[in-house]
Amino acid sequence: MDAASNHQSQTPFLGAEGPQPSSSVPAGSSGFYPVSVGWFHGLTIEQRVLAGFSLVFVGILIVSGISYHNMNILLTNRGLDGRSHDTIQLLNNIDVAMSEAEDTHRRYLVTGEASYLEAYQKFAKQKLTFTAYLNDLIRESPEQQQRAGLLDRMMDRQLNAESKAIAQFQEGGFRAVKKMAFEGAGKRELGVIHQIITEMDLYERQAVGRRVVESAAGTRNTIVLLGIGALLQLVLLAGVYYLIRHDITERRRVAGELQRRGELLEAANKELEAFSYSVSHDLRAPLRHIDGYAALLRRAVEHSLNDKATRYLQTISDSAKQMGQLIDDLLVFSRMGRQEMLHTAVNLDQVIKNILSDLRLDLQGREISWTIAALPEVQGDPAMLRQVFMNLIANAVKFTSTRPIATIEIGVERPSSTEIVLFVRDNGVGFDMQYAPKLFGVFQRLHRADEFEGTGIGLANVRRIVHRHGGRTWAEGVPDKGATFYVLLPSRRRDS
Amino acid sequence: MTTAKPILLAEDNPRDAELALAAMEAEHISEKVVLCHDGAEVLDYLYCRGQFKSRLRGNPAVVFLDLKMPKVNGLEVLRTIKADINLRPIPVVMLTSSREERDLAESYALGANAYVVKPVEFHKFLSAVKELGTFWGVINEPPPESCRSTH
Repeated sequence: MDAASNHQSQTPFLGAEGPQPSSSVPAGSSGFYPVSVGWFHGLTIEQRVLAGFSLVFVGILIVSGISYHNMNILLTNRGLDGRSHDTIQLLNNIDVAMSEAEDTHRRYLVTGEASYLEAYQKFAKQKLTFTAYLNDLIRESPEQQQRAGLLDRMMDRQLNAESKAIAQFQEGGFRAVKKMAFEGAGKRELGVIHQIITEMDLYERQAVGRRVVESAAGTRNTIVLLGIGALLQLVLLAGVYYLIRHDITERRRVAGELQRRGELLEAANKELEAFSYSVSHDLRAPLRHIDGYAALLRRAVEHSLNDKATRYLQTISDSAKQMGQLIDDLLVFSRMGRQEMLHTAVNLDQVIKNILSDLRLDLQGREISWTIAALPEVQGDPAMLRQVFMNLIANAVKFTSTRPIATIEIGVERPSSTEIVLFVRDNGVGFDMQYAPKLFGVFQRLHRADEFEGTGIGLANVRRIVHRHGGRTWAEGVPDKGATFYVLLPSRRRDS
Repeated sequence: MTTAKPILLAEDNPRDAELALAAMEAEHISEKVVLCHDGAEVLDYLYCRGQFKSRLRGNPAVVFLDLKMPKVNGLEVLRTIKADINLRPIPVVMLTSSREERDLAESYALGANAYVVKPVEFHKFLSAVKELGTFWGVINEPPPESCRSTH
């Protein structure tokens, strides 16, 4: 028992280390440690295991959530990177196209060659496609959109200036546009366009750089988190495993201990029975001698005995007889505990009828009003159950002997499918309820020997037999009013 | 009458023996009683050996056997008697303090002819022993085998 309780008191400490690695941090956490152990101590093994598994589950959820979030950022960044690269590419194309447009319109102005005009118009036409695509690519960056707006306006101005120059050339010939032909109509705008494109390009490259750093950090965090998470889950699972294994070991140990104790108890019982058997027999011999020699003595000195001496000898004999009765009762009691039990259907009506017939000599000269209900059939040992009701009825008869008219009632109370409660009620001397627990003890008597005779073993036998049948006994009484003795028997057969 | 046939009383307790003899004295059968103090003596008597080497041959009219005896107990004596073809016819009455079912069952299984529990009360004991002595020692006709006594 000591070993068991020691072991149990260790459990929460050992158990708490598993699922709560934080509580094993030594410094500064001493205030937290006993508190956590406190609630953990109050949990059953099932709750502890459930708590452990719940923590594992929550841990997995958290790790999964954070990993998902990081992965999402990575995927988003990859998409943004693609757009940035497209933007850079597009800006380059726009730059080239605008330069080409400026170049070809100047060539046309100088040479009047139609093929240059066609090339120019092709580039000018691309402008709309370019701006639409650009606006789509940078739709999420207001800074870039602002720049793109400016770029758009500049491109329009360049193309307008160039278109105007081309129109003047077609009206007035080379002379009208001579200056512009050498300098370029939108030269100034083209410079601004170059500058804007360089700015936008730089911006995109910086954004890509930022995202690369961010993605790398996210990936590193995810890996670290997964590592720590896995480690924590392992520790938690190890803790739960320890709890379960510890519990199984403990249960096995307890089962073994129970079995060992059962065997010990059985052995002790056997020994006790053997002891009481042997004591009872060895006690009988000297009693026989006391009574025998007292009788022989009386016979030897019969003629010289006075009344006093005769009474002394009689008392010796009576005491020997009384002790003989006690020993007999004790033997019966001891036998009741050892005897093999039968399990058959017992007709209680018949049992009561037989008992009353056996008691008829004792009932002579007594006025007793009997109320006997129809009793059910029960399962049990017929001889033992007969002993139970014999004792109860004999008691009722005995303790109503002072009544001019005794009433004894035998009946059934709250019959149910699982148990039967039988009772024997009398209007006899009754008893004080404070002595009720003593009633069924061995050699316990509530009345003086000169009031009512008896050895005080009858009710002990009743209890022993009823217990062996898997039932219970109890009694209710009021001093000088009467007593009721109850016997509860299970309806179904019990293999005990 | 079989006055010559002795009654064998196996009783280790001298007081029980004295009381039994006192009981039989009243019926004048006590002189027929041979007292043995343990199981070994009973067997010595029956097989005419040891202190009974020179006794008159012949089986007793009856053997009264106590169960609990030193050396060889009552059940062992009973077993030996009932296993021997010459001794088997001797009536054996168990005279004991034990009312145990186990003892009863075993005694009868081994072939005991009667089983008597010694009453604690002397007058009951007296009448029991008287009746037993009278019945087995006087009234009962012993088996013919035990009549081939050598004089």
